[in-house]
Amino acid sequence: MPYLSFALRNLGAKKGRSIGLAAAVAFAVMTVVTLAVTSSGLEQSAAAIISIGKADFTVAQKGVTDLLSSSIDANQLARIRATPGVQSAVGVLVETEKINPQNPVFIEIGIDPSQLKRFGVTVLEGHPYAPTARNECMVGWRAAANLGLHVGSLFRADGTVNTVTGIYSTGNSFGDDAAMFPLPAIQGYNRVPGIVTLVFVKVRPGTPISRVEHSIQYHMPELTTIRTATQFGRADRNLVYLKAAVTGSTILAIIIGAVIVGNTMLLSVFERTRELGLLRAVGWTRRRIVGMILIEAAALALIGAAVGVGLSFGISVALEHVPALQGILHANYTPTAFWRALYTALGMTFIGCLYPAARAAFLAPLRALSYE
Amino acid sequence: MSESFGLRASVAGEEPAVKLDDVVKRYPGGVLALDRLSLSVAQKEFVAISGPSGCGKSTLLHLIAALDHPTSGTVWVNGRDLSTVRDLSYYRRHEVGLVFQLHNLLPRISVLANVEIVMYGTRLSSRERHQRAMELLAEVDLEGRANRLPTQLSGGERQRVAIARALANEPKILLADEPTGNLDAESAQRIMELFGRVRDTGVTVIMVTHDEVLASMADRTERIERGRIASSTVNR
Repeated sequence: MPYLSFALRNLGAKKGRSIGLAAAVAFAVMTVVTLAVTSSGLEQSAAAIISIGKADFTVAQKGVTDLLSSSIDANQLARIRATPGVQSAVGVLVETEKINPQNPVFIEIGIDPSQLKRFGVTVLEGHPYAPTARNECMVGWRAAANLGLHVGSLFRADGTVNTVTGIYSTGNSFGDDAAMFPLPAIQGYNRVPGIVTLVFVKVRPGTPISRVEHSIQYHMPELTTIRTATQFGRADRNLVYLKAAVTGSTILAIIIGAVIVGNTMLLSVFERTRELGLLRAVGWTRRRIVGMILIEAAALALIGAAVGVGLSFGISVALEHVPALQGILHANYTPTAFWRALYTALGMTFIGCLYPAARAAFLAPLRALSYE
Repeated sequence: MSESFGLRASVAGEEPAVKLDDVVKRYPGGVLALDRLSLSVAQKEFVAISGPSGCGKSTLLHLIAALDHPTSGTVWVNGRDLSTVRDLSYYRRHEVGLVFQLHNLLPRISVLANVEIVMYGTRLSSRERHQRAMELLAEVDLEGRANRLPTQLSGGERQRVAIARALANEPKILLADEPTGNLDAESAQRIMELFGRVRDTGVTVIMVTHDEVLASMADRTERIERGRIASSTVNR
């Protein structure tokens, strides 16, 4: 019998306890992974907004709680446009609105029609709205398909009824699942005249993007530039808090899991006192005893991690179908989520096993052999 | 008389397999188990340690097995002072083989695996361990029971498995603590014959027993009373 098989046989010998322990690990992993993938999904959704306008980078107000609370006035927009190296800077007002239960965070973009081409918008059908029209809009082709809209349809948004003048494509799924309005109209609906949420900047060919970014941030320290999803926290504090909450939950899950694993493994060591004493008496080293306990724990961790990830898939799908969360939560399974599952499971079992393993290793063989 | 056996070893030019010099073992609470006991066991000798319950027989065996340490005095095994041995796990794995009164087989693994587990950490491959375990089981006439669980064997068979396990790493000394204590006369007789065969292969056998008849089957019987050697008898 190979040593590995011998070490693993205890899992089969006490099936109920092994299943219970693996379930505890799986539950903790499921919680951690579900939190991680849903927060990653939120981050991905938020980051997608900045990728709608095919820009080199996006400018937002620094340190706001929510990216959509960013506020850039006309003066700042003009200074951005005047920054050396900037080829174009398109200011847009972005808001979200619940238009029906299936679309609780529908994206509405206020943009001047003269900027549509720079923003990467291609009109597929119809024509753009007039620059100062009050009841006109265009919808992305995905949104049009989802909502059953076509040119000439009426689209209710922000408490107003708008005529769809055109169907557009941005080449970005989030952009194509949105609607665009004349900028003054949407500024008026939101009572923020002259204000835009984000500025999409395109840099002149040959100019280093980072140099333009630094220049904007240097001259307007109240603003920040965002190029990747990971830079999102510069503007959106909510995502930073969310990530911190996920990290905190992971640590908490590891601690709670470690206590459960430790308690159960300690019970297992007590039950096997005679066996461990015998193994020490016949020459097993302390390292080999510790190895045996850790192999058991690692096997439980791997089983727990696998089951936990599976449960997380199920829970995520279920959460996405909860009416109150539909369209808001999107699980985003990245390699990081799987690593998180693995180190959560291994972390809690390893920490939990330290004391039981040490106790097993330092049993006095003679005393252990006479243990009843 | 015991000294004469020590001399016998010296005369033969060999170090004693086991030698105890003025060994005292006092347990916490003041119980004196061994009282300045001296004993010498020659290489390839089969010695029975007998005496009444609580006289210190098992304590003596535990000291030789390095499962416990003396309060004072020195235990020498093959010329080495046990108090200077740093790797006691290695010592217990390779220098001595242990057989307990309760066979102490692991109930949830096969007879074969019970023999194999003491060979973990040696240089033997998994296949070699398997082969060696099968050979040992054949030597104790249990090759046909290799895949059974210990609970499916009789008491005598379990004890023979325990002996096979004790011999797995080819120890120079086999220590047996009341190995026949729970066996019927026939099984006990078989175990004794097995020890004789083990001795014939060059292994020193030290067996603790309270059964004087079985003790007389050894080469020599050392009787302990109140922690001291009370008498020494050469049986053959």
